[in-house]
Amino acid sequence: MNWNAVRTAVICAILIVLHYTVRPLLAWNVSIDFLIIALMFGAVRMRPGLAALFGFALGLVSDSLSPGAFGAAALGMSVVGFGASWLKAVFFADNLALNGFFIFLGKWIFDLIFVLVGHRMHGAELFMQIVVWSSLSAAMTAVAGILAVALLRPLMEVRTA
Amino acid sequence: MARATRLSSRIDFLLFIGCVIIALVTLVLPLQMREPLAEVLRRSVVAPLVNLQSNAERWHTAWQLSEERTARLDSAVMRGFNATALQTENDQLRKLLGLGARLHMGFVPAEAVHNAVREDVVTTLTLTAGTRAGIKVYSPVVSPEGVVGMVQTADPSISIAILFSHPDFRASAMSGDGSSFGIVYPHLRQGLGSSGEYLLELRNVPFRTALAPGTMIYTSGLGGTFPRGIPIGVVLRELKTAEGWTRTYLLQPSVNPAKVNAVMVLTPQRSPQRMDNVWQMVARVDSAAHGVVSAGDSIQRHATADSVRRAVGDSVRRAAGTARPDSAARTDSTPRHRAAPTAVADSTRPRRQTTDSSRPRPVRRDTVRRDSARRDSAARRDTNARRDTSARRDSVRPVRPDTMMHR
Repeated sequence: MNWNAVRTAVICAILIVLHYTVRPLLAWNVSIDFLIIALMFGAVRMRPGLAALFGFALGLVSDSLSPGAFGAAALGMSVVGFGASWLKAVFFADNLALNGFFIFLGKWIFDLIFVLVGHRMHGAELFMQIVVWSSLSAAMTAVAGILAVALLRPLMEVRTA
Repeated sequence: MARATRLSSRIDFLLFIGCVIIALVTLVLPLQMREPLAEVLRRSVVAPLVNLQSNAERWHTAWQLSEERTARLDSAVMRGFNATALQTENDQLRKLLGLGARLHMGFVPAEAVHNAVREDVVTTLTLTAGTRAGIKVYSPVVSPEGVVGMVQTADPSISIAILFSHPDFRASAMSGDGSSFGIVYPHLRQGLGSSGEYLLELRNVPFRTALAPGTMIYTSGLGGTFPRGIPIGVVLRELKTAEGWTRTYLLQPSVNPAKVNAVMVLTPQRSPQRMDNVWQMVARVDSAAHGVVSAGDSIQRHATADSVRRAVGDSVRRAAGTARPDSAARTDSTPRHRAAPTAVADSTRPRRQTTDSSRPRPVRRDTVRRDSARRDSAARRDTNARRDTSARRDSVRPVRPDTMMHR
């Protein structure tokens, strides 16, 4: 039995559950995206194709609750998951700040794709969303991701042997 | 090996491209087709997550409602506290307004600022008025309840007053009826009483005069600082001291210094004047009522003595065979008339003087009706001694406290 896959699945499941429980409780204007954290953690432990598929599935789950932009989250997460899996070497580095930066980048790219493809905003509002709110949300997600990495590191050790 | 790697890379890329294409297709689908897809997902895979989210939102809403309720409750409690404080302040200011109206002139209202450092026993107050307002050193500081203290330091805009709890405080004092005099000191041995109240001592009271608990003590005006007639406190009990020739009493002050927020400072123009008509109204009414009662007793005693004398005189005359002329009955009427008003006038004097009927005193027309007394004596000519006594007792109109106050 591949325990690494099981552990990854459990952690991803926990993060997904957190996304639907902790986020509504906090109800902050700048919310933490636990789905992106789960995607990034899962993607670095998968092949890029599977990571893209995992992102697509997570995106569909997210889209099902916002049918107005159905498919936008799936597209964004597919791209982010595939990219994260390609850049998995970076995540092997034992550096929390670097991990945080890539989570920030993944969240920001996802928001960029989601907003642009979803055609929800235009002009100054779109600019504010991308530059300010998406950046802040990406920063919060990165902080939460760093905490999660720090807490779950013993469980998430990738065995290369 | 390289081929397998290339193949897996191609598969990965194809998967990625496939995901992207499907996502783009779902994006361009019309709403009627997208919604059923989303609904299928919501009812199947996402259903547990939706439940989790709805529960979390419900908890969040409940938490917010609870916080709002707590905030509303806190606000209501705060408003209640403020209302109580405002009511207390209003009461104090109303009393102060009443005091100002009674004083008419010669006072400076000031706000009393307590020291920033919390003291167990408040001994000084900072007043928001100074020499510019007419306040000088040793100006008396009073409140609607009575003596608060005296000004110790006077600056142009503020002044500092020592309270009666200060070790240096002294005031010449007297009982309400003016029968006992003494000096008021702060009660330093215990400081605060059992219930946290400040206490005073009335020392150097002559041994022959005993003050009952509850006796009101006023300033006597003899010290030169406080005018006569400002309430100081009430006698609680006598203190046992080593001195055998004077008495010392424990007083409950009229004013609680810790609760004083606004005061009146009496200016030098006002200070020498008596304050009897400002604070002592109620005390005087009580004293007058007691005086009237004692006067009634005195009249009754005199009448009894007169009737006994008259009965003896009549029996002697009868035995001698001479009729008693009516005018003879008037011989003792004069002292009787004099005795009644004297006793009434003595209501504000020490009781030991009430029986002294030999000394003529000014008659207070409002305490005993002269015509009723005269009518009385006329009726007495034809009646026996018993009826005469009862008639004389009725002739003294009991003076109601409210009428005295009105006067």
